[in-house]
Amino acid sequence: MSAAAWQRALPWIALAALAALPWVGAPPYWVTLANYIGIYAIVALGLVLLTGHAGLTSFGQSAFVGIGAYTTAYLATAAGLGPLATLAASVALTTASALVLGVITVRLSGHYLPLCTIAWCLSLFYAFGNIDALGKFDGLTGIPAFELGGWRLEQGRELFYLIWGFVALAVLALRKLLDSRPGRVVRALKKGALMEESCGIDTARYKLLAFVIAAMLAGISGWLYAYLQRAVNPTPFGLGYGIEYLFMAVVGGLGHLWGAIVGAALLTLVKDWLQGVLPALLGQTGNFETIVFGVAMILLLQRAPEGLWGAVARRVGRRPAPPPPAGTAPLPAQPQPPAGQPLLQLRAVRRTFGGLVAVNDISFGVASGEIVALIGPNGAGKSTLFNLVSGVLPLSAGEVHFDGRRVDGWAARRLARLRMGRTFQHVRLVPDMSVLENVMIGAHLRGQRGVLASVFGLNRAEEDSLRLEAARQLRRVGLGEHLDQDAGALALGQQRTLEIARALCLDPVLLLLDEPAAGLRHHEKQALATLLRQLRQEGLSVLLVEHDMDFVMGLAERLVVMDFGTHIAEGPPAEVRRDPKVQAAYLGADE
Amino acid sequence: MSAATTAPLLLDVRDLHVRYGRVEALSGVSLQVPAGGIVTVIGPNGAGKSTLLNALMGLLPVASGEIRWAGAAPPHAVEDRVAAGLCLVPEKRELFASMTVRDNLLLGAYARVRAGERRALDRIDTVFERFPRLRERAGQLAGTLSGGERQMLAIGRALMGNPRLLMLDEPSLGLAPLIVRDIFRIIRGLRDAGVAILLIEQNARAALQVADHAIVIETGNVVLQGPASELARDPAVTASYLGGG
Repeated sequence: MSAAAWQRALPWIALAALAALPWVGAPPYWVTLANYIGIYAIVALGLVLLTGHAGLTSFGQSAFVGIGAYTTAYLATAAGLGPLATLAASVALTTASALVLGVITVRLSGHYLPLCTIAWCLSLFYAFGNIDALGKFDGLTGIPAFELGGWRLEQGRELFYLIWGFVALAVLALRKLLDSRPGRVVRALKKGALMEESCGIDTARYKLLAFVIAAMLAGISGWLYAYLQRAVNPTPFGLGYGIEYLFMAVVGGLGHLWGAIVGAALLTLVKDWLQGVLPALLGQTGNFETIVFGVAMILLLQRAPEGLWGAVARRVGRRPAPPPPAGTAPLPAQPQPPAGQPLLQLRAVRRTFGGLVAVNDISFGVASGEIVALIGPNGAGKSTLFNLVSGVLPLSAGEVHFDGRRVDGWAARRLARLRMGRTFQHVRLVPDMSVLENVMIGAHLRGQRGVLASVFGLNRAEEDSLRLEAARQLRRVGLGEHLDQDAGALALGQQRTLEIARALCLDPVLLLLDEPAAGLRHHEKQALATLLRQLRQEGLSVLLVEHDMDFVMGLAERLVVMDFGTHIAEGPPAEVRRDPKVQAAYLGADE
Repeated sequence: MSAATTAPLLLDVRDLHVRYGRVEALSGVSLQVPAGGIVTVIGPNGAGKSTLLNALMGLLPVASGEIRWAGAAPPHAVEDRVAAGLCLVPEKRELFASMTVRDNLLLGAYARVRAGERRALDRIDTVFERFPRLRERAGQLAGTLSGGERQMLAIGRALMGNPRLLMLDEPSLGLAPLIVRDIFRIIRGLRDAGVAILLIEQNARAALQVADHAIVIETGNVVLQGPASELARDPAVTASYLGGG
């Protein structure tokens, strides 16, 4: 085994060693601590997905734990239901409340979601404390022991395996999920939502998904809590605990599954130790541990801002993606329309920002199998026009027709379904995902497998096909050597070509390329021109913005020239180049 | 031009190695920039050109090798290097988009003012003389500038640090042909004012015309170097970076 493989196996070995804890004569108190660590870790694992990957901060996970715990307590005491029924009810109720809350809040960006989760957590705390049926602030007691088909788990050391079994399951399921088609979307949400919409992905749906999964895990944690404690009251489900769960995930390393366990363990153990040591040291009681604890955590995060496990993971590095096995089915490609048909039509497209007319009644068209270049001075409105055509910005007036349909007012992701692919002037990719994974996001619409299939490993054939296609497109653009590198480590010119590969994974009929050759060297530009000609041969159409006239001259059939938002010339490159208006505005007199 | 190559060395880099984790980005790069000279670095994407500039600026740690700045070891911290006259215009410009053009420029003198140079902010007038367009836009937010104006602002901000060596990373990136000519006019003007320049530029033809000396970097190694006029005639350089013969 290589050093890296050992480092990857280490957490599982540690988990196995932990499993022996109750049998090697560990004091019962250790087992109790381990049980709490496990229960907290399940909640923190959900936050790794929600906050670490989807970039949504929640202070309200403790409320979901509360829903799980109260549901279990109530149904077990009042209705005498067994653990399977209470588990189902806990998960169903947390899922339902997360759905309702999520639909309202997840679409809101920025600070709204954290604020909403705080409000939710506070209000639920008082709801628990004021409902008669739930025993008000005294809570519910007398929950019967966990009993399932003759198995009775009553002691801490008996429940230990149940709790840590769920921890292991959660790690396995989340790991499968993160390395799948829906998981890649979630991992890219934080930095690449606009890019994902342009790949045809409904990002709000995936934010909601992450929110619901995190809540489900919290609900399961609450279910376990009820059987461990055999009593519930509102206190452990308040805002203070909600903050603490987030803290566990951050200290362990947001974005790292093992970090959630490390963080839960560290916080629980250090707090417990300080509670014992400080009063003896200071000779008086009081909540001094909270102060010392806060200072220690600030120091820790200063030393290792990516969290404890983040610091470890950086040294281990990325495991290279396995090459798709021989015989992997390539993704089916749809036929291209016959050459020469009108594909994209702009009719008096207009966009104003306040009083400024950025795009002033522009009309032109692109036929299938044609390469059209849009040129003009910096600030002429070319990128704005691109954003209008691709649905990133709404039009102020005018019409856009694409593939026989009127599409102005359509969202970017709907246009992607009509096979319109694009790249961005300012590169949009996920720097800490591999080059290959970034490009696989482009093929999202060509796969179907969802969360359940991914968690249960039923997505392998499709994953292989997606990987095959992404690798094929990357080799095509000349990045075949860089598949497993972090996309952020590529040079800027290479990041631009990565975007072309990602757009090609959509199986597009029309490619919108915003300055594809910027930053490329002469021979790299030649390779790009060769690729674009080949794509045209295959029936693709290309609309590109570019400043390198030599590049454009030999490639495009037609040039459209914009200046100050206005269409000033159009025609074959040689003709446009001689146009005095174009020379004055853009090219300068020939030297 | 040959006078420049015999001038005292401003920057002397020997056997520089830089790593990203386990990947070696630069494996033993050496180069010299004389005071007042222009040196251009040519090479494919991913060869390590931007890495070189970032390492010289102190933004990336150096694994091994030696950097000599005006005959001595350069200061360690980035802002001290700026105060010592080493300024970088980064590839992505990195302007403060929600601040005005004037404030962006004033921030360029930050290290100088901090080092005790009280009159450093007055340099904004000479920057405005060099870039009249920036004076017209002084109160406008940097985020609303066009591509060419952004590049002028990025260069102007670096000039506020009164550099002895200006490092330009892809100054013509994304600029229209007319503006590219302006940028090269500006580079010549800076050289005439005595500023040494280390230039990374996609337009190799224009870069070799303006430079005294050139080095070619491929996969982290210097594969070719010499006077710029000679490299412009080199068949390997022509084939990969110039085209058209």
